[in-house]
Amino acid sequence: MFKLPRKTLINFILIVCFILLASNSLSCFKDSVQKTFKPHLSFIGLLKREIGGIVFYHRNMIKAEDLALEVGVLRSKLFDLREIYQENSRFKNLLNFKQKSPLRLIPARVIGRSVDSWSSSVIIDKGKYQGIKRGMAVINHSGLIGRIIESADGVSKVLLINDPGQGISSIVQRSRQEGLVSGTLGANLIMRYLPENAQIITGDIIVTSELSQIYPKGLLIGKVINVGVEFSGLNRYAVVRPSVDLANIEEVLVIIQ
Amino acid sequence: MKKCFLFLAVIFIVTLQLIWPGFLTFFNCKPDLLLVFAVSLVFYFDFKTALIFAILTGFAKDIFLPSSFAINTVSFSIWVYLVYKLLRQISSENDYVRLAIVLLVIFLNNIVTNLQILSLGNIVPMGIFLRNLIISSIYSAAVSPLIYKLIKKIGAGV
Repeated sequence: MFKLPRKTLINFILIVCFILLASNSLSCFKDSVQKTFKPHLSFIGLLKREIGGIVFYHRNMIKAEDLALEVGVLRSKLFDLREIYQENSRFKNLLNFKQKSPLRLIPARVIGRSVDSWSSSVIIDKGKYQGIKRGMAVINHSGLIGRIIESADGVSKVLLINDPGQGISSIVQRSRQEGLVSGTLGANLIMRYLPENAQIITGDIIVTSELSQIYPKGLLIGKVINVGVEFSGLNRYAVVRPSVDLANIEEVLVIIQ
Repeated sequence: MKKCFLFLAVIFIVTLQLIWPGFLTFFNCKPDLLLVFAVSLVFYFDFKTALIFAILTGFAKDIFLPSSFAINTVSFSIWVYLVYKLLRQISSENDYVRLAIVLLVIFLNNIVTNLQILSLGNIVPMGIFLRNLIISSIYSAAVSPLIYKLIKKIGAGV
């Protein structure tokens, strides 16, 4: 009869116990360790920004001049948009539409990034104390960034939209074609499950859909740069360039309501 | 005292990994300093110390990863054990041998990580998989002499 030596059995039990212990204790330690790392990560981040400001002074000066010009153009556009907004509000009231409540946002600063090349996440300096909870959407002025996956007392972890673990229910703004946007770890995202006759072309804007349980409807994800047919030949896919430069995020906004 | 310095070195490397500057990343890849550190410990310390600090390093890495399973805690300790076994068969006096061992371990660890991603039902395109596998492994091996120096200094009592 098959019989295991006593020593092998004990070693096997010890290894199993070690794996279970490591996996269980991971969640217990996560909050406290991340909290411990926060002060010096914030300090180093500040130092990095200040040194970067001095080293890249000339580049920043030119950039500031360009931005000042852009601000002028945008101000005039904003003025036009305000007019349109007011007009729109009046029409909505007239039609007795339910007024869309504005999003409640919490600004946060990125203090750390993913520790390896196989995931895409950032650590921000706001957490449970500021009302941030797991599952909240994270954006910036350019569009969608990701969602909160862990929230400790003063820090939170954000899973970026280019992580392969992400799946965002989305639509093409022009044709209302639905699909699922997921990350690839690269600079671009991929929109899958598009039918063969999907109304999607290069240059289309992709936004979050109302089917999404996490993300509010209409958040800008990116622009289609390529459309192809999947290996099976049954569906099409679209390569989406995110509207946010995910490699260089410094400040984010967490949607708390 | 040496263990105290090793503990501080773990904190330093975790911090470095978290704030790794964007301009030092090649094709969006950064070196896996924590794995290099864990493997290098076997070259300069006794097996027990190396194993304990490899577990600690893997644990620290898992804490800052989105995944909830402690894969690095387990895999780092396995790599340290395997490298220890290997070093009983071959000599690691030559720097190139150490470099080759580190490169091999990182390469295999990257494959294991990708398999874990696939097992969760997520897909990484082949191009990005190869990019991460090759560039990240070579980059990690390339910076490993700096980690050796750090560990050597700690081993010599700083």
